[in-house]
Amino acid sequence: MNLPVIEIRNLKSAYGDQLVLQEVNLQIPANEITAILGTSGCGKTTLLKHMIGLLKPLEGEIQILGKSILELDENELNDVLKKAGVLFQSGALLNSISLADNIAIPLEQHTNLSKDMIEFIIKQKLELVGLSHAYHYLPGELSGGMRKRAALARAIALDPVILFADEPGAGLDPVTAASLDQLLLSLKEKLGMTLVMVTHETASIKRIADRIIYLGKNRVLFSGTLREALESDIPALITFFNSDSSQKSKA
Amino acid sequence: MPREIIKIPSALGFSNVEEVRHQITKLISAESPQEFILDFAEVESIDTAGVALIDYLNEFAPRFGTEITLTNVSKKISSAMDVFHLKKVFTPEKKEPPGFFEKTGDLFYKLKNSVGDILILLSNITYWSGLSIVRPKLRRKGEVIHQSILIGVNAFPIIALIAFLIGFILALQSAAQLRQFGANIYVADLVAIAMVSEMGPLITAIMVAGRSGSAIAAEIATMVVTEEIDALKVMGIDPAPYLVVPKVMAMSLVMPMLTIFANFIGIIGGMVIAITYLDLDILPFFNEVMSVLRYKELVTSIVKSLTFAFIIAVTAAYFGQKVKGGAEGVGKSTTSAVVFSIFFVIVADSILGLLFYFGETTF
Repeated sequence: MNLPVIEIRNLKSAYGDQLVLQEVNLQIPANEITAILGTSGCGKTTLLKHMIGLLKPLEGEIQILGKSILELDENELNDVLKKAGVLFQSGALLNSISLADNIAIPLEQHTNLSKDMIEFIIKQKLELVGLSHAYHYLPGELSGGMRKRAALARAIALDPVILFADEPGAGLDPVTAASLDQLLLSLKEKLGMTLVMVTHETASIKRIADRIIYLGKNRVLFSGTLREALESDIPALITFFNSDSSQKSKA
Repeated sequence: MPREIIKIPSALGFSNVEEVRHQITKLISAESPQEFILDFAEVESIDTAGVALIDYLNEFAPRFGTEITLTNVSKKISSAMDVFHLKKVFTPEKKEPPGFFEKTGDLFYKLKNSVGDILILLSNITYWSGLSIVRPKLRRKGEVIHQSILIGVNAFPIIALIAFLIGFILALQSAAQLRQFGANIYVADLVAIAMVSEMGPLITAIMVAGRSGSAIAAEIATMVVTEEIDALKVMGIDPAPYLVVPKVMAMSLVMPMLTIFANFIGIIGGMVIAITYLDLDILPFFNEVMSVLRYKELVTSIVKSLTFAFIIAVTAAYFGQKVKGGAEGVGKSTTSAVVFSIFFVIVADSILGLLFYFGETTF
């Protein structure tokens, strides 16, 4: 296992009186794709939001790239977050500006690059996600899958060390989902990016994930490699991975 | 062909790419024509910005009749380049802005459609409003009461404050003039007529348009954006009676009440000036108010308030359902709803004012 880029110790989280996560201890190694799985409402997205500093836990410690983010002030946290990209479930593109302008936001805010260079990087990123033709398009003019790919282009604009993705393949057709997986895989293999993704897509998990974290009953039920997860005798995991194959056999 | 070798630093990326670009472009533009060899022997890391620089130079150099060649590129660097390297330098397509005639044509086409849509919405609301009186199941249970509280009851404090200030200011502005002629008592006539037939309904309508018209437009627009309206449609529920009619009914119910309340408070505001500045007593002031107000003023006030209620609700519903885009669209719809509501209210006020002025004068 590579050195961890994210470490979480004894995390406890709740929304009001409702406990969402407790005793969460996990490590996410560098240069690997870690998939966080679990049933709906088990706290996957909540865990992701804790990792990117959008939510504060009741208890516990979260270390990103060696820094305990709960102890950082806003500026220090922003410095850490500059090294992370986030692909939100809905894309979260700003609807009033073009795709190019959306991708330009982090480049203009966090670098001293000239307009020419920013334009080239925007072109690179759009080509990477197959949206070269949509440079001037508004997000509202794109399909759901295209919006998600555009959001990925924005998330990787600064070549983040860690890419967090909330349901990257949700709502995409199998072909687009597979090409998105290939893109994520190449980001990991060629650029050494660490990927943390919350997902339900078993096909995608089997294609690209190195490591699995399974949440259930408000805690981590399983943490290990994909192979270990596939061979696990934990009933929830067996059901999770078999649901895909049983659907296929029915079809 | 003369060649020049440029050594690239060990790390080429966001932090130093502008510096490197500046050095190389300076050389290219000063010493052309030449072949420039970028030596990557020492490069250990490259990121997006570094690759963007190579792409940029490949486009920049030919402008000066020069070429860029890379040498000693390691497998690791080459692999990173493969990910980001532009396969083809493209010029983004930009849509041509429409010309004058296209814009004018588009404007009239939209105007025609808008008028049609408003007429359809009006007829829909009128039809469903009538029908939902006899078939209450068509509208949401308790919704008219709920909307009445939101639009009416919650607006009482702000309308009271504004009406009081309007009455107060009307009296204050006219007091000095009336005093010169010893016509102090006529401040009661002025405030009463102005408030009841004009300022009361108008100020109430403007406040309700800003407060509740915007809320209605934003609610409906958000429901359109989040596909809630589509969900109602596919469940076989017409959004007009379900969403809009209760709001129209509630507004028609509470606007006359708010207007009467605003009239009364406005007159009280005028009375404060009459007592404190013009040395009038309460009783003569109210006697004068009662003597000057005829049924005509009261009917004018009620008719105006009902008309304005209908205008505000329909305009808000219209702009709410015409929303396009996401969050920004909701904002635009809400702004348009308020601006056009107030505009239509003032137009309607002028028309009704003329009708009542030149119409039958005895009630």
